Amino acid sequence: MLRFLIKRLLLGALTMFAVSLVAFGMFFMLPRDAVATMCVKNCNPERLERVRVELGLKDPLIDQYTGYMKGIFVGRDLGSAQGGYCDAPCLGYSYTSSEEVSDIFARVLPVTLSIVLPAAVLWLGLGIGLGMLSALKRGTVFDRLAIGFSLTGASMQLYFVGGMLMIIFVYTLKILPVPHYTSLWEDPLDWAGGLVLAWVALAFLFSAVYARLSRAQMLETLAEDFVRTARAKGLSKSRAYGRHALRAAITPIVTIAGLDIGGALGGTVITETTFGIQGLGRTAVEAVRLGDLPTIMATVLISAVFIVVANIVVDLLYAVIDPRVRLG
Amino acid sequence: MRSRAVLALGSVLALSVALGACSENTNTENGVDTDRQSSGVIATDPKDSMGPAAAVSGASKGGTFTVIRQTKISHMDPQRVYSFVGLNTAPLYARFLTTWKDDGKGHVVLVGDLAETPGVNVNKDCKVWEFKIKDGVKFEDGSAITSKEVAYGIARSFDPDLAGGPTYIQEWLADDAAFDKKWDFKANKSSLPPGLTTPDAKTLRFEFAKPHCDLPFAASLPATAPLPPAKDLGVDLDNKPFSSGPYKLVKNTVGVEMVFERNEHWDANTDPVRNAYPDKFVYQFGPNAEAQTNRLIADGDADKATLGWNGVDSSLVAKVAGDSALMGRTLREPTPSAWRLSINTQRVPDLSVRQALNYAIDRPGMVKAAGGDLKVAPLTTLMPPSTLGFKKYDAYPADIEKAKSTLAGKTPELVLVIGDDSGAQELGTQVKNNLEKAGFKITIKVIPADSKLDETKKKSNPWDLYLDSWAADWPSGAALLPVLFDGRTIKDEGNSNTSYVNNDAINAEFDRVLALDPAAQAPEWAKLDERIMKELAPAVPLYADVMFVMHGSKVGGVYIDSIFGYPAFTRAFVKQ
Amino acid sequence: MSLSQIETEAAGVDAAAAPVAPQPGMVGRSPGRLAWARLRANRTAMVSGWIMVFFVVLGLAAPLVELVYGISPFEQFQDKIANNSLPLGYFGGVSGEHWFGLEPQLGRDIFIRLVYGLRTSLFIAVSAALLTTGLGIVLGIISGYLGGWIDAVISWVIDFALALPFLIFALAIMPTVTARFYGPRDEIPVPFRIGVMIFLFALFGWTGTARLVRGQVISLREREFVEAARASGAGLFHILFRQLLPNLWAPILVSFSLAVPGYITGEAALSFLGIGVVDPTPDFGVMINKSLSYAQTDPAYLIFPGVVIFLLVLAFNLFGDGLRDALDPKSSR
Repeated sequence: MLRFLIKRLLLGALTMFAVSLVAFGMFFMLPRDAVATMCVKNCNPERLERVRVELGLKDPLIDQYTGYMKGIFVGRDLGSAQGGYCDAPCLGYSYTSSEEVSDIFARVLPVTLSIVLPAAVLWLGLGIGLGMLSALKRGTVFDRLAIGFSLTGASMQLYFVGGMLMIIFVYTLKILPVPHYTSLWEDPLDWAGGLVLAWVALAFLFSAVYARLSRAQMLETLAEDFVRTARAKGLSKSRAYGRHALRAAITPIVTIAGLDIGGALGGTVITETTFGIQGLGRTAVEAVRLGDLPTIMATVLISAVFIVVANIVVDLLYAVIDPRVRLG
Repeated sequence: MRSRAVLALGSVLALSVALGACSENTNTENGVDTDRQSSGVIATDPKDSMGPAAAVSGASKGGTFTVIRQTKISHMDPQRVYSFVGLNTAPLYARFLTTWKDDGKGHVVLVGDLAETPGVNVNKDCKVWEFKIKDGVKFEDGSAITSKEVAYGIARSFDPDLAGGPTYIQEWLADDAAFDKKWDFKANKSSLPPGLTTPDAKTLRFEFAKPHCDLPFAASLPATAPLPPAKDLGVDLDNKPFSSGPYKLVKNTVGVEMVFERNEHWDANTDPVRNAYPDKFVYQFGPNAEAQTNRLIADGDADKATLGWNGVDSSLVAKVAGDSALMGRTLREPTPSAWRLSINTQRVPDLSVRQALNYAIDRPGMVKAAGGDLKVAPLTTLMPPSTLGFKKYDAYPADIEKAKSTLAGKTPELVLVIGDDSGAQELGTQVKNNLEKAGFKITIKVIPADSKLDETKKKSNPWDLYLDSWAADWPSGAALLPVLFDGRTIKDEGNSNTSYVNNDAINAEFDRVLALDPAAQAPEWAKLDERIMKELAPAVPLYADVMFVMHGSKVGGVYIDSIFGYPAFTRAFVKQ
Repeated sequence: MSLSQIETEAAGVDAAAAPVAPQPGMVGRSPGRLAWARLRANRTAMVSGWIMVFFVVLGLAAPLVELVYGISPFEQFQDKIANNSLPLGYFGGVSGEHWFGLEPQLGRDIFIRLVYGLRTSLFIAVSAALLTTGLGIVLGIISGYLGGWIDAVISWVIDFALALPFLIFALAIMPTVTARFYGPRDEIPVPFRIGVMIFLFALFGWTGTARLVRGQVISLREREFVEAARASGAGLFHILFRQLLPNLWAPILVSFSLAVPGYITGEAALSFLGIGVVDPTPDFGVMINKSLSYAQTDPAYLIFPGVVIFLLVLAFNLFGDGLRDALDPKSSR
């Protein structure tokens, strides 16, 4: 178990290293000039050039990369134009926001987490619940309705569903506030009220996958010998299904859920744009558009961390849920 | 399952039909005074510069005024403020040497803000200027504002780290476009830039090598806001400005929210323009124009004292315009933001081709493509109607046949560059289809919207046509025509003269008019405008933006400022 | 977002589909015939299949439709647009001449743009699905069968590709690539933009199929028929693509049919962020995104493209679902 964990962690670190290299190289090829974007009117070439030198954009690429990575682990001095010394973990100083990137993330990360995590609970619950029930009631009207409902969801576009939900619940019925983010610790009710539409929209779209998957898994497991044996031994229906069947069926669902949640954390751009909430996704898109390298790097690294960690967690969960899986 | 698909389809249809009532769409009047004339004077009577500001009828103190905007304000540090939203927000937390008294209908008077008068032209040659700082003006910590702090504010605008702000005063003092090389702020923090002196705590003196009659105008930009050296946080001041105005920034969650509360040390009796009625100003960032408009249409409890900075979204214009109750909560004024199709004369040297482009453009079609006549108003002149001395003319009345005959059988192949934002792409399509009817062959080149401005400002840019806009920093032809069409200022990068015209006769005319008394200049600029279009045709004037903003039912006192054409909050109040 | 969805949907088959080993000697219908029979018995699948075919034919025949309809997708009818930029008349300017009305602002015909948009979207989605499936099959089969360090490397590359945020990279790659290939005065040809989009989908989308195939191959490689082939001295290529591949077609087919709607959605999402196809090229994503904001003032503009894209994606999803049931006898018992 420990050996496996160490191996996975090392591989994860290797992945992160590769991601950082690719991101860094990639964005230096971007045909964007953050410095020119920064100055509004009246900028002259010499001044632009001087700013470029000060930001270190004239150093060899390799120096810029090592400088950036060094900042993450031990901190570094960014110079007077960028707010002076930046403590580890230093993600750099945003060219466009006049603040340290780590401050930006301290602000937008809770937003994205608040959107994705409750939404994931909702879509997992809804999806798996629908899937399992329709498997148990296979062939009935409920089964067909449930699958039809989830397929309809999967065939819709998030911005379409989101836009419609807002028009209905916010602008027409006025029973929900305009989507916004408040800290959970400050005002839990407002937190939920501001994000509930985003959760519902995401759940509607994502639950289809889980409904279908869990239905198929459940059907298969129900037919397996150990469930039949359990039933034959006289275990009640609910115990047999709940204990045995659910447990076996859930393994592949966990795999996908891990990936989806990890991916969603890095890819909430569309959700955030639709609902007008400033989180990780929109910060990333704006950074790419403006060529704000430090922010881009940090966004890519952070979303990659989510996915890598989610993968490792899933592998570990596998072992916990399904004793048949041997780690090695 | 088939029946369910039909059911789903049916419900989508029913929903959509229910959402938009099925009524006939027709042409209607919109009530925007697009041809309103402007007037402007510089106050000569010191009483005009004294406080308090005239009371607004129906206004009362108190309440929280909210502004929603899609993106954050790029800079809050007064020395770096240059965006429209920054320029109209800065008066809340900063005071300047001079400022505009503005009726919101194009009639403006330049008065002293921190200064007792809008400047004294000491030798009547526009080379030496003096400003006397008022008594009783204070910072948010209660310390007095003297000429020293104003001078320090101007000095720190020489710091290359503090990019973004206007550079007029720095360039005039240094008599050099590369002013930060001429005088290094970081190495001389305790001294002042050349030509700037503070003979005593009340007096600020500018001495220029060349005459600059526009100084009182330039001094109205936030870059003349004062700052005590001890409170200078360098680049970090951008998120924590030190207030000299009626409000101070007490909470700044960058990109999300800013909260301003009263600065108890601000004295209304010293301030000629700020009423400061609300107790609090809150800026919220994030929602786009569409979401803002939807919120304001709904007029929910939280949004009654709210204004949507980004204006009524073009997709919702018809809904708002069709409802007189909603129209009652909007402001509709033409703005000085003038759009033109710039022609790169380096690449299109043939005057007849440029004239044909002018004849070919279909302005009504452009207006429709740009979102309708509540978003833009057609323009045939280089200067927008809000410019002082504006005179309407049309040098090239739209006529496709005339365009064809002017081309005389030529089929010029031109490249039009546009940004990759969705609105621009439709305008590009519109221009292409329009010009191709007259026999042009247009290639559309899409480049990232954020870099388009910088790329077209490079002299060596490879394109023939681009959509450009210009909003002058003060409503004088001097802040528009020479800036855009004086060929002697052309450099490698960062040009405002994106048509790259350089005509000796016109350049000489610029010099002649600029040396005139500011009041005498106005009609001369209007004449020169027409002459440039007739002789050079460096661009096709298209339209001026119309500011069409909406607010909640408890908002009062807001006006569209006559200088920049954006909502201004100096008289704003919350109806009780 | 859309990409991970494809993987999960296909993975549903992963565990469910039984490998169909060739059974010579058995008399009767082949497994393929059996599946076909089951598919035909599924009314939902058949109806959605026909809707699919209808859309594909409509897209392919777009120029013909234009010929009959008499209006080009680029023609502007601005004299039928009011000064508030919306179409004159009722329900978004619907008339005998313009069946689905006109676009606000530019005044182009919605019906003919939808027909051409169908073509663009389907072309991108089908090409991307073919490419990702092909790549996934080859890498998955090699990884699963050979095992060892090759498997380790490919598995790591999959993990790596999954860790890259797709949208951010798409946003960065599009302008970079176009700037490399075209001069500053060249228009970026539409096929090139479409090509880059397909390439982007392929680059990030192959991992799903690869994982799926790898898993299947691992469970198959110790089977007798593979051992027999190995013992009789068959070459690697023969074992991989002649012995193993025929046993994998069921899950692959299902994953392919579910990938297509995923990419239709994905393409629309890219356009939502301004990365994908741009005006004036007719395209679903572009149309939907623009029309969304007109939900209140010009609902017709939203309804026509919205309903068509919804029907299209739903048809593909339903058909894919039916196909899975047909190919996997267990789940449809």
